[in-house]
Amino acid sequence: MSAVLQQAEKAGKGMLKGAIRIEDVVKIYDPDGAAVMAVDHCSLDIPAGEICMIVGPSGCGKTTLLNAIAGFHSITSGKIFLDDELLCGPGKPMAQPGSDRIVVFQNGALFPWKSNLDNVAFGLMMQGKLGKKEIYDKARSMMADAGLSGTEHNFPGEVSSGLRRRVEIVRALMNEPKVLLFDEPYRALDSLTKSVMHEALLEIYYKNKVTIFFITHDLEEAIFLGHRLVIMTSRPCKPKKIIDVDIPHPRDYSVLTSTRYRQLMDETVELVHEEAKKAFSAGEKEG
Amino acid sequence: MEIDQTVALLKRSMPFQTVPNDVLEAIARLARYESYARGDVIYHQGDFADDVYIVSSGAVQHTLGIGFQAIHPEKILHSGDVFGWAAVLENQRSRLAKTVCLERTELIRINGEELINLFKASPETGDIVMSRFATMINKEYTLPEEMAGHVPHFTQVPVTVATGLTLTMFRLSQWLKSPKPYLMLTGFGILLATWYLAVEIWKLPRFADMPGLTEVVKEWFSKDPIYGLSIYTPEYYQHIWVSVRRILIAFFLATALGVPLGLFLGWSKTFREYVFPVFETLRPIPILAWVPLAILMFQGSETPVIFLTFLASFYATALNTMLGVETIDESYSRAAACLGASKWQTFKEVIVPGAMPFIFTGLQISIGVAWFSLVAGEMVSGEFGLGYVINTSYTMVRYPTIVIGMVTLGIVGYVSSALVRMAGDYMMQWRVRELALGGR
Repeated sequence: MSAVLQQAEKAGKGMLKGAIRIEDVVKIYDPDGAAVMAVDHCSLDIPAGEICMIVGPSGCGKTTLLNAIAGFHSITSGKIFLDDELLCGPGKPMAQPGSDRIVVFQNGALFPWKSNLDNVAFGLMMQGKLGKKEIYDKARSMMADAGLSGTEHNFPGEVSSGLRRRVEIVRALMNEPKVLLFDEPYRALDSLTKSVMHEALLEIYYKNKVTIFFITHDLEEAIFLGHRLVIMTSRPCKPKKIIDVDIPHPRDYSVLTSTRYRQLMDETVELVHEEAKKAFSAGEKEG
Repeated sequence: MEIDQTVALLKRSMPFQTVPNDVLEAIARLARYESYARGDVIYHQGDFADDVYIVSSGAVQHTLGIGFQAIHPEKILHSGDVFGWAAVLENQRSRLAKTVCLERTELIRINGEELINLFKASPETGDIVMSRFATMINKEYTLPEEMAGHVPHFTQVPVTVATGLTLTMFRLSQWLKSPKPYLMLTGFGILLATWYLAVEIWKLPRFADMPGLTEVVKEWFSKDPIYGLSIYTPEYYQHIWVSVRRILIAFFLATALGVPLGLFLGWSKTFREYVFPVFETLRPIPILAWVPLAILMFQGSETPVIFLTFLASFYATALNTMLGVETIDESYSRAAACLGASKWQTFKEVIVPGAMPFIFTGLQISIGVAWFSLVAGEMVSGEFGLGYVINTSYTMVRYPTIVIGMVTLGIVGYVSSALVRMAGDYMMQWRVRELALGGR
């Protein structure tokens, strides 16, 4: 466990929640009788409060794993636990989607017909746990904390894509999830916006310690954000190598010029490139 | 640049548009002309704001710094656009943005303090210009209102941020200055001229029996029409009302039944397995083929016509609604599930609003085909209505009345689909604003 997490626990914030344990998960797709193995006996332990970066070539099956945790897809065999509670496993092939694990989608999934504020309030309104006024007060203050005041009454389509992503993360955090599942959320952003988004994400993370399961194929992003990198093999997907990023948090963009960052980049780039080549020659469809 | 050229440029810019000529000339005398090359930076964020700029030609990229909560941090400015308004703000005399020329750009710059001094001499004009500045900052740059609150004012009346009305009026005047309305009028002109020339002047062979333009217009606006139908006769409005009433009933029924059916067809796979094949078999049958059955099924002359009108609308509405549900991005339902929405909540909050753009496309088509089948129905059975007018005028050799009926159908049909479009825009503000940003 990294130093930051230990500090957070010492600071008396209580036991962190949101540990994910993936045990021997296999996923076989069976379109038209031709079995395709997307995930091959994958095991992975993610401690609570960790930022775990899943790195692999496009189409390697990373998203399949994320969908299994979120409860969008079934698994063929194996088990997935969240804080020792079985999400899916034998006899329960598909997890129930819930507000303890919230996905931030690749292309963004803010409802374009709701204002940013209504989007942020959506989860709690649906769950009906609090009164409307309390929910909207909380939504406003969370938006203000994330530097989003002034955009409450705009529709998502009216604000920049970087802002939209921030609103989406705030929408997820409103529900106090244990885990945030990111599915290459910054893929479509330009590199300048991306760097701003990374710092903003870390800032949000330092305030709300949640477990982050973050899929990417961008090594720079992976090393900058993550406590650990899990480098995946090309399809079928399973961890090829796990690398600890021993750069202390809190981090900012000066990390990118540090020697340690360069060393890590050198260590990982070859590994990732190898898998990308395999995926390329196998002609994997991106996605 | 000559003074009058500068005045012309000022008149094209939003803040200075309504300023009287003598004041404009005084402002023009303050203006200095400058030209920049591609890539030149006019000013950086944080620089002292001295001048206001107006683009004469070229393009300038205006990028607001982070932290101003602008909704569109970037803007491209073209001829007639004003920027650098920090120079006229009170207590905010540093640049909020960086501006870079994207191509060779010519512009005029006016010193902010000199401009304000000039307005002190003519405070009324000054307040108008400044309130327009405030509107622009607020609406065009979508900065918070407090930023516009720094705009100085000169008269005793407290300054208010001008409403969207000013901007709407400005856009209207811009539209009138653009070629669009004149092109539109030209289009109508060509149509009418061709008709007039073909029938009345050249008397082309195929057009010999056609009613001419002047004949139709005379008849239409005559207090004592030869064939008994003009804008002064109550029968005219009775026919319109009968047709409109049929459309209203049929369109209302088609929407009330077609939208829910389409939503469930798209939402439930099982439901679709039952219903869709039947639906797809009945749909290609032309409306006219239903006429005999409609007459057999329903009594009188009114219900068969309404039934035929309903049928065509119903298919269009249901089918488009179903397509709408099918095209909703799966991420939306998944996000709703993640956020703890139940199946019914997802249907209400995601499926229905998500399908809305397609539903309204369906309704647009629906109202169009409703008029189509209404006229077909009225020609076959019915005692009133515009279709009936056209058909009986033919058999009774009242040719100008045919054209009156046709043109009236065109106008009423256009108004009805415009109303549907307006209803759609009203219900889908999110989409209107999104499309507006795309420049569509």
